[in-house]
Amino acid sequence: MAVPISQMATVTKYVLSQKLSGVKRYPLVLMLEPLFRCNLACAGCGKIQYPDHVLDKRLTVEQCLAAAEECGAPIVSIPGGEPMIHPEMPAIVRGLVAQERYIYLCTNAILMERKLDEYQPSKFLTFSVHMDGLKDEHDLAVCRDGVYDVAVKAIKAALKRGHRVTTNTTLFDDANPERVRKFFDAMMDLGVEGMMISPGYSYQKAPDQQHFLKRERTRELFSRILGNPKKKWQFNQSPLFLDFLMGRREYECTPWGNPTYNVFGWQKPCYLLQEGYAKTFRELMDSTEWDHYGTGRNEKCADCMVHCGYEPSAVEDTFGTLSGFGRTVKLTMLPTSR
Amino acid sequence: MTDTKNHSTAGVPGSPEGRVFQPGSFNELAEAVELAFDYRGDVTVSLKSGESISGYLFNRQVSGSDSYLEVFPSDSAETRRIRYDQIATIAFTGEDTATGKSWETWVSKKDSERQIEVERVAAEARTRGIL
Repeated sequence: MAVPISQMATVTKYVLSQKLSGVKRYPLVLMLEPLFRCNLACAGCGKIQYPDHVLDKRLTVEQCLAAAEECGAPIVSIPGGEPMIHPEMPAIVRGLVAQERYIYLCTNAILMERKLDEYQPSKFLTFSVHMDGLKDEHDLAVCRDGVYDVAVKAIKAALKRGHRVTTNTTLFDDANPERVRKFFDAMMDLGVEGMMISPGYSYQKAPDQQHFLKRERTRELFSRILGNPKKKWQFNQSPLFLDFLMGRREYECTPWGNPTYNVFGWQKPCYLLQEGYAKTFRELMDSTEWDHYGTGRNEKCADCMVHCGYEPSAVEDTFGTLSGFGRTVKLTMLPTSR
Repeated sequence: MTDTKNHSTAGVPGSPEGRVFQPGSFNELAEAVELAFDYRGDVTVSLKSGESISGYLFNRQVSGSDSYLEVFPSDSAETRRIRYDQIATIAFTGEDTATGKSWETWVSKKDSERQIEVERVAAEARTRGIL
């Protein structure tokens, strides 16, 4: 089972309490971006293309903890930029652990082994290592040779110290299904707890759309990758989201499910689109015109199938429908039955 | 959680870098502000009072006479809120940091050019103590 029972129980309790309270829109994962600065410069990454004075800005420990409290989501994902550059990241993590939130610290792992001493192993903390494929594919994706090997070494070191480690992978239209399956084997052989995958998606700032996955292509690609899954593969995400990627379930986007907070404020409406910023989480929820977003409602969202919008939809399906609940239980207990 | 790559305008001809907008109407001003909001570089907002603010325009709120934009000035830690009716011109004075950074541009480069860029990025990261 890729997600520990205590984490599943926390999320279950949280979602049910929201539903019992009649809350229609609730956050599931806070996307906390404490900085945009990175120690890689992956071609085309829009997260790092800012003037230096913006890249030098950091959210403080207090801002991060207050955002988590205000949002209330049981899970906090910390992407960036490269979060481990942030000198106060260990304090941010300690504070979030004290709040008993499950943290996914997303990292390219370049600094990870060097900084492991600054982090205490905890069931609340997972290092989510960015891996876009086997060595050739990954080093090409991050535009630097040797990063795959550094990441593998860091993963081994973290596992040895008792940390939870997962991988996160973005797949683009040039992904080779056989190579991706071999990559899954390699990651599970390393001993990671589970893997997270998502299709790459461009937004309005990407006129070079041909490199990105369109919906039909996404379904075809993920069907080829995830069909006939191996017993050892574990995914640290909703099994229904994987069904969705394979075209086996239809969902509408849940853009409020993964709210994003960064140096600009609360990002409207989601992790991928930047339509403006709110000062508070409440303002984000109240002032965003949610009905304007999602496939069929906004051309910017036309082909999006990314986790930040659709994984919350899958979780909603699990807790909102009998078929969703039954399928989640089945795929959790028998992942190869897909 | 997957850290999705957000590819950007990179390498697209027609960047507004270097242009100056002197809007003649509210609609023209709103259009210029939208362009500046999407721009991945600093802009300089000149006010009717004669003051100039250079920085990154990260937010705007269009609401009639209450419309405003927000800037991270390049020389200050505090954000600055500016009402639309205070603005005289908007100039795209900073480098467009997205230009030439697309995946396609990267792939189309010669190996030697890529290697030089990799070394430059790594050296810069080392200088900052983040590698």
